[in-house]
Amino acid sequence: MVEIHSTAIVSTEARLGVNVKVGPMAIIKDDVEIGDNSIIGSKSVVYDGARIGSNVTILNSASIAHIPQDKKFHGEYSLCIVEPGSIIYDFVTLHRGTEASGKTVIGKNVVIMHYSHVAHDCYINDNVFIDNCVQIGGHVEVGTGSLLESYTQIHQFCKLGKFVTLITGCKATMDVPPFIICSDKPLKYKGLSEELLRKSGYDENQIKTLNSIYNILYNSGLNISQAKEKIKDSLGENELASEVLDFINASSRGIISK
Amino acid sequence: MNLIHPTAIVSSKAKLGTNVSIGPFSIIQDDVEIGDNTSIASHSVIYNGARIGSDCKIFQGVSIAHIPQVSGIKDVQSQAVIGNRVTIHEFVTIHKASKEQGQTRVGSNVLLMAYAHLGHDSSIGDNCIIANAVQIAGHVHIDDWAIIGGSTPVHQFCFVGKHCMIGGGFRVVKDVPPYVLAGEEPLRFNGLNSVGLKRRGFSSEQLENLKHIYKLIYDSGMNVTQAKEAIKEKYSSDPLAKDVTEFIEKSKRGIIPR
Repeated sequence: MVEIHSTAIVSTEARLGVNVKVGPMAIIKDDVEIGDNSIIGSKSVVYDGARIGSNVTILNSASIAHIPQDKKFHGEYSLCIVEPGSIIYDFVTLHRGTEASGKTVIGKNVVIMHYSHVAHDCYINDNVFIDNCVQIGGHVEVGTGSLLESYTQIHQFCKLGKFVTLITGCKATMDVPPFIICSDKPLKYKGLSEELLRKSGYDENQIKTLNSIYNILYNSGLNISQAKEKIKDSLGENELASEVLDFINASSRGIISK
Repeated sequence: MNLIHPTAIVSSKAKLGTNVSIGPFSIIQDDVEIGDNTSIASHSVIYNGARIGSDCKIFQGVSIAHIPQVSGIKDVQSQAVIGNRVTIHEFVTIHKASKEQGQTRVGSNVLLMAYAHLGHDSSIGDNCIIANAVQIAGHVHIDDWAIIGGSTPVHQFCFVGKHCMIGGGFRVVKDVPPYVLAGEEPLRFNGLNSVGLKRRGFSSEQLENLKHIYKLIYDSGMNVTQAKEAIKEKYSSDPLAKDVTEFIEKSKRGIIPR
C-alpha cells in the first residue's frame, strides 16, 4: 500500500514501489522511481531524473535531482540515483548529473545530514557519512566508508579515497588518498582514520602496514615518485599498498601534502 | 498568461507581469512586484517589499524580502530588489533592508547558489556568482562580476570590489579591493584575478598596469595611504587605477593585507 498525504502532489507517471510514504506538501515529479518502503518527508521535492532505491528515508524539505548549478548544463537528460538504505536529512540538496557523466550517485546506506549539498556528477560510494552543512562540488568522488564532518567543503573534481576522515570545517582542494584523517587549511595529512578502519574490520596488522605506507609517503622526506618506489620495494605485492599506489597514480589534481 | 498552481497562495494585490509561473505551496504576499517570464518554484515565500525583475528563476524553498535578522526590529517598510535574469537556487534567503524605505539589492545576471544568505541593506552588483552556503551579513556591498567561493562568510559592512574572486571557505572580514584574488586565513591578497579579467576582455596592457598598481600597494614598503597617493600620481589618467584608489578611499574597514 502506498501512503500519500492528501496535500502531496504526486505525478501519476511516477513509479512508486510498495509501502512508499509521501508526506504533506511533498512533490513527486513525472520521471521518478521510488523503491519499496521508502519515505519522502513533508515539503520535499523529488524532481525528474530521480531514481530512489528501497528503504530510503528522505526527511523534510529536501531537494532531490534538481537541475545542476553548472554553466555547461543545457537541460539534457540525466539522473540522480539514491541507492537502497540511505538517509537524507532536512534541506539537503542533491543535484542530478550533466552530460559529463549523466548521473549523480549516492551509494547504499549513505547518511547525509542537514543542509548538505551534493552537486552534479558526484559519486558518493556506499556507507559514507556526511555531516551537517557539507558542501560537495561537482564531479567529486567520495570513497566507501568515508566520514565528512560538519562544514567541510570539497572542491569540484576532487577524489577522496575510501575510509577518509575530513575533520570539521576543513576544505579539500586536492585528492585525498585512502584510509587517512586530515584537517587544517590547506588540508593536511594527520594520520590514519584508525577508528573508521577498526570499525570496518581492519585488523592491527593491516593498520600497521598502512602506517608504514603513509610514513614513507609523508614522513620520509621523499617526493611522491620516490616514495612510490620505496613503498613498492619495501612492501612488494601488498593489497593495501597497491590500493594506495593506484589511487595516487590515478590522481589528476595531485594528493594533499603533510 | 500566468501559471499559478492551485495550491499557491498569491495575494490579489501582488503585481505580477506576464508569463509568470508560481509553483505549488509558494506564497506571494501583498506588496510584491514580479517581472515578466519569472518563474518561482515550489515552497518559496516572497514577502512584502520584494521587487523581482524579469526572466528570473527562483527555485524551491527560497525566502525573499523577509524581515531582517536584527535584534528588536519591528516590521519595516523596506524592500528587497532583485534585477533581471537572476537565478536563485534552493533555500536561499534574502532579507529586506532594516531601515524605512531602505533597499537590499541584487543586480542582474546574478547566480545565487543553494543555501546562500544575503543580509539586510546589502547589495550585490551585476554578473556576480555567489556559491553555495555563502553567508553575507548586513550592509555588505559586492561589486559587479565578483565571484565568492562556497561556504564563505562575509562580515557585516565589508566591501568587495569588482572582478574579485574570493576562494571558498575563507572569511571576509576586511574590504577586498577590485580585480584581485583573495584567499587564505586570515584573508589576504593572492595576486590579480588574471583569468577572470582575460575572460572578460581586459587587455594584457591593462593587466600589466594593474599588476604595477597592486605592487605599489602590497610590495613597495609604503603604507596604503602613501601607495594610494603614488598611484594617483603615476596613473592619473588610468580608469582602472581610479577604481582602485576610489575603493581605498571609501573603504572603512581597511583593505585586506598581503
